[in-house]
Amino acid sequence: MNEIGGAPLFFLEFGDIVIYFTPFTLTLFILALVFTVFVLVSRPERQIDIAFGGDAYYAKEISLSELRFRRFMSIACGLACMGAMVTGDVFDFTLFVSLVGICNVGIVAAVKSRHVQNAAYQYGLVALAGTVPMFSAAAMIAATTGTLSMLELAKGMILIPVAAKALLVLGVMGEGMAPFYAAKAEMFRAPGAPYVIMCSLSSLLIFLRVAEVILLL
Amino acid sequence: MIAELLFAVFFGLLLLGIHRKVIARIQRRPGPPVWQEILHMLKFSFKTTWVPATASTALFCGVVLVAIGIWTAALVVVLSGGSLLVIFAIYMLHKIVEHGFGLSSGSPYGKFGGVRSVISAASEIPLFVSVAAIAIFTQSLMITDIIAYQEINGPLLITVPLAALAMYVVLLSKMPFGPFSIVESKELVSGYKTEHFGVWRAGLEVCNGLKTYVLLLTFILVFIGNLPFWLVILAMVIILITLSFVCALSPMLSPYDSVTVQTLIAGLMVAYVALLGVMS
Repeated sequence: MNEIGGAPLFFLEFGDIVIYFTPFTLTLFILALVFTVFVLVSRPERQIDIAFGGDAYYAKEISLSELRFRRFMSIACGLACMGAMVTGDVFDFTLFVSLVGICNVGIVAAVKSRHVQNAAYQYGLVALAGTVPMFSAAAMIAATTGTLSMLELAKGMILIPVAAKALLVLGVMGEGMAPFYAAKAEMFRAPGAPYVIMCSLSSLLIFLRVAEVILLL
Repeated sequence: MIAELLFAVFFGLLLLGIHRKVIARIQRRPGPPVWQEILHMLKFSFKTTWVPATASTALFCGVVLVAIGIWTAALVVVLSGGSLLVIFAIYMLHKIVEHGFGLSSGSPYGKFGGVRSVISAASEIPLFVSVAAIAIFTQSLMITDIIAYQEINGPLLITVPLAALAMYVVLLSKMPFGPFSIVESKELVSGYKTEHFGVWRAGLEVCNGLKTYVLLLTFILVFIGNLPFWLVILAMVIILITLSFVCALSPMLSPYDSVTVQTLIAGLMVAYVALLGVMS
């Protein structure tokens, strides 16, 4: 089961930390890269909404300061995502995933609307709580096996506790909850397609990667 | 590979045309000709193309290329016998593409289509269940290994019928006019693709053709095994007609019901795989 994402294409070593690319991780990495480029070059859409009480409609605009902050957060999210997709170290993976969670909170919280910020606050609490099981999983794996290298762990020499795997999945679920908040009525009334999509994409990518990590360990 | 790609696009569109025809005949309508989807694609290729003034231009155009790119990659992975996990990833990433289509235009119809795509995330879980069930039996997720396993042990369709059923539900959730097609239901005009016209819509049609072909081919390779080319084509048409029957005879569910039913199916499938895991 060592090649569940396809045969490794190449390894990039930074001391004992190894980044590796398989067809699976490379696909996810390229997608994260492509959407990060979209965030870089796109201006947000001007969302059409109706004026209640009549048949008029108007286009919403995003202020420059809000645009800059959300763009910054989205790019940071994209970079964290790319790191999470190719890292071969469990602790680095948890770090990148928690960074994705922080950036997603930032993307949502930057919208100047009380309802949207309420959604961001709720998501922030979930993301914060998600870090506890996630880092606990990394600590348990390190304590039981003596290594956090996925390539070493994938050899199957030492049994990894099922609880550690379960906690890792639970933590990623907490960090990846953003789309459920982004899909709330308050959020999708707020314009900013490339940034909102980054929330969904990053969450989806970390779910896909954790599925590979769990099958690998 | 170019020849295979072109065949996949045109045959996939033909399958979608057959799908519409079968649904129409079951509902006692004449229906469009079976090559209607191919005509749509060609027609849109030469129609006036524009980008709405309210759109996020780069995303509006770029997401079409991403859609074609990911399903072309999926075709390459299937034909080269690569990892099933990559197909799973691409299937899930298609949700982001739908989301991108819907949100990038600024249209409320597109936006609702995109949001419905996100909330129906439970439709992906049965695919993961299929992948997990296959991994338990074959100890590999490479399509070549899965085919080799079936040559020795018989089709997985018989060994793990519920995993095949889960994959069938996945196919059903991606078929147009089906019970789970809430992302493009009529109250949203055309849902996430409402504002994409001209060459952008032609690109989307190409993506739909490729997606249909790749998903049906994956189902056959993974659950039946390697067949002669003409039998693969025949099996694709038969599976498609069964899907068309389900689509024709079941109403489109409301978004709430669609998500509830998909979540229930996903829960049952997860329990099934957990049971398989314990038994193995």
